[in-house]
Amino acid sequence: MAPIRDKFTIHSKAIVCQDVELKGDITIGSGTIVHPKATIFAIAGPIVIGSSCIIEEGAIIVNRRKEVMRIGDDNLFEIGCRIESPTVGDFNTISTRARVHHTVRIGSYCVVGAGCLLVPTEDEILDDYTVVYGPAAERRKWSGRGKVQEADLRRKHAEYLREMLPKFNRLRRGDGT
Amino acid sequence: MLKRSEDEDGPGRGPHDLRDASTCQDVLSLSISSTAGYPVGGTEMAPSVQYHCACLSSSPAPPPPHLPSSSSSFHPLHTLFFCEECDAVRCNRCVAVEVSTYYCPNCLFEVPSASVRAEKNRCARNCFMCPNCRNTLSVVPSDPPENSDGRLTVPISAVGEPPFFLYCNHCRWDSAEVGITFEKPTGLAAQLQKFEDSAPDSLEFDRLKEHFEPFIPAASAALARDIPGVSKYNPSQGDEMTEYRSRVDIATASRMGTGGGDADVEYMRHLETVSEVASLNQRWTSSWATSFQARDLKPLRIPLHSKRSKRCPACTHILIKPEQKAQSVRYKIKLVAANYLPAITVTLPHAQQAQAEAARRSLGKSTAAAPEDDRGGSGVGMHAGKTYPFHLALTNPLYDPIQVRLSVQRMHVSTATTTSADGSATEKARRPPFAVSLPTSSFPIAAFAEAWEYEDDEDMFGVDDDEVGAGRGGREKDGRGKVKTVGVLEKRANVTVVGGEVVIGKEARGAVKFNMLVSYTYRSDDPAPSEGNDGSPTKSTKPPEIKTFAFYTVVDLGLIIPREDVRLDSES
Ligand SMILES: [Zn+2]
Ligand SMILES: [Zn+2]
Ligand SMILES: [Zn+2]
Ligand SMILES: [Zn+2]
Repeated sequence: MAPIRDKFTIHSKAIVCQDVELKGDITIGSGTIVHPKATIFAIAGPIVIGSSCIIEEGAIIVNRRKEVMRIGDDNLFEIGCRIESPTVGDFNTISTRARVHHTVRIGSYCVVGAGCLLVPTEDEILDDYTVVYGPAAERRKWSGRGKVQEADLRRKHAEYLREMLPKFNRLRRGDGT
Repeated sequence: MLKRSEDEDGPGRGPHDLRDASTCQDVLSLSISSTAGYPVGGTEMAPSVQYHCACLSSSPAPPPPHLPSSSSSFHPLHTLFFCEECDAVRCNRCVAVEVSTYYCPNCLFEVPSASVRAEKNRCARNCFMCPNCRNTLSVVPSDPPENSDGRLTVPISAVGEPPFFLYCNHCRWDSAEVGITFEKPTGLAAQLQKFEDSAPDSLEFDRLKEHFEPFIPAASAALARDIPGVSKYNPSQGDEMTEYRSRVDIATASRMGTGGGDADVEYMRHLETVSEVASLNQRWTSSWATSFQARDLKPLRIPLHSKRSKRCPACTHILIKPEQKAQSVRYKIKLVAANYLPAITVTLPHAQQAQAEAARRSLGKSTAAAPEDDRGGSGVGMHAGKTYPFHLALTNPLYDPIQVRLSVQRMHVSTATTTSADGSATEKARRPPFAVSLPTSSFPIAAFAEAWEYEDDEDMFGVDDDEVGAGRGGREKDGRGKVKTVGVLEKRANVTVVGGEVVIGKEARGAVKFNMLVSYTYRSDDPAPSEGNDGSPTKSTKPPEIKTFAFYTVVDLGLIIPREDVRLDSES
């Protein structure tokens, strides 16, 4: 395999802490926050992350495929989760220590609960509003009631981090600047 | 008897913190207490030591450990109490229990016992449980109406509007799914209880109660006051019992689809996905029989918990008494056995070594490798016809050094197996399946001391650097013959580790499980029975400087791998 060429494109309004591990071709959109100790590995194809996502400590985002891994807007990747999905929509929550394999594509407004493993051998798509929860990774459909309030909370969460993180962390800039 | 005083617990607290936590758990949680801490038979692989409470047997000696019924006489140390008055161990089976407070585990409101019945043992404030996943529900307002273009517009500091509903943050179930919404975010429990109380089962129960009311005059009061009073109940007074007529006859009830009648059968026939049926887990938390359709699940008011005091069955002295306040995790009285008896843990060096190696091997692998893979690994079991060392670590909870003597209770194998129906098994079992050697002489264990009382680390941890199980096992392996296996192996702080050995017979099968008598002598601080204000004299009125206390334990080293199985393993 050819050695991975690093190419980081970080939007000027994104907050990417110095102490993160980035490898490969990575694009990070406006307002997205990457906490220290997070890992983003574009092993095969590039990774493109949209705007206003929050990637917490110890979260690992990996692209094993040749195609571009696209992550939408306003997603929350909680502490220690690991995600390899080729596509991720908007407003999803991947909870603490959850794991999603590269065989799963994620729609929008999905929740993968804490510690849930989504590791099917066959390709599958998580429809919008799918909730995966509990030790047996049970699934159900969310009615979507309360999503505006949750989105509001997500925005406030991001806003707070955008203000606070730079006070205590050195930030990384993209290659262009 | 000498004990560690609770008041001396300093800010840092001693090594018994963990024990405190476990007893709290036991006393605080109403629903979990009966199962927590007890290893489920057969599934627990780790060797264990449990302590005997004599409440079930007429003699002080425990039943033979190979009888399945013996398990109810032995308990983990952290579940036991100690009565100073009787100088005896007490367990949760024999203590008398009294409820001292009812409280909601969610809002920690202390519910007066008068309201407990009226509120049907559930929180009447704003605490609800998700019927789907049992997480706590929160009350949320509805979202503002969506824009016509379908795009999500997020108003800054969105103020929700009625109707309010209950929402689960975990599985995203919400009460609007089952048609329950509220105009105001307050007083929800009362509204829900009205709902519950109008359930056909609830109404039927009320009617039953009404029907039986005249026949049990004062009986319930007597029952509540004093259990022996129940025998005074005289049935001759109530022989003219009228026939009970149910509110709804059984055929109608079954048609409503709660009692497993035709309606339910019909529903099951047309099932499309399994998730349409509410699981047993989801249904048994509700007070009444409910429909088993998942879409009928209702939010549940959170069941109350209780704090309980426990008394000695013999002398009725209080053994444990929590502080009244629900927020407090402290006790007014706490006579737990862990503060009196040495704690004993048992380890098998060869199994620990095998586990450590397996752990080292799996460390390189990805985290996905399940730890279950190591179970039943080659090194962990004990094979028939072999000899294994084992370690017993004894921890002294007293502020004075103690002198301990261990002995194995002799097993009457022949008498025990005559009951066996299978002839061949009897013959095999006639020879004792294993022989246990323990140190024959007594050995000391240093006094408990708070961590800051040690001069330096060496005092506390001992000079040996073989703290890790693997290291200890390694020593055993290298120096077989040179290092003694039976005897005192290690002394550090208030812990003494002694080694024992088990020789397993060639034809042995089953578990290596034996009763062990532990007797220890300690210096008694209170020479005269001055505390005995109830007039009961203690055994000796003369001030004896040294006292002895003895108790039984059962040591379970695990299952023997019989010969046949070994052969099968090697063939495959
Ligand atoms: Zn008992
Ligand atoms: Zn409550
Ligand atoms: Zn739920
Ligand atoms: Zn007593």
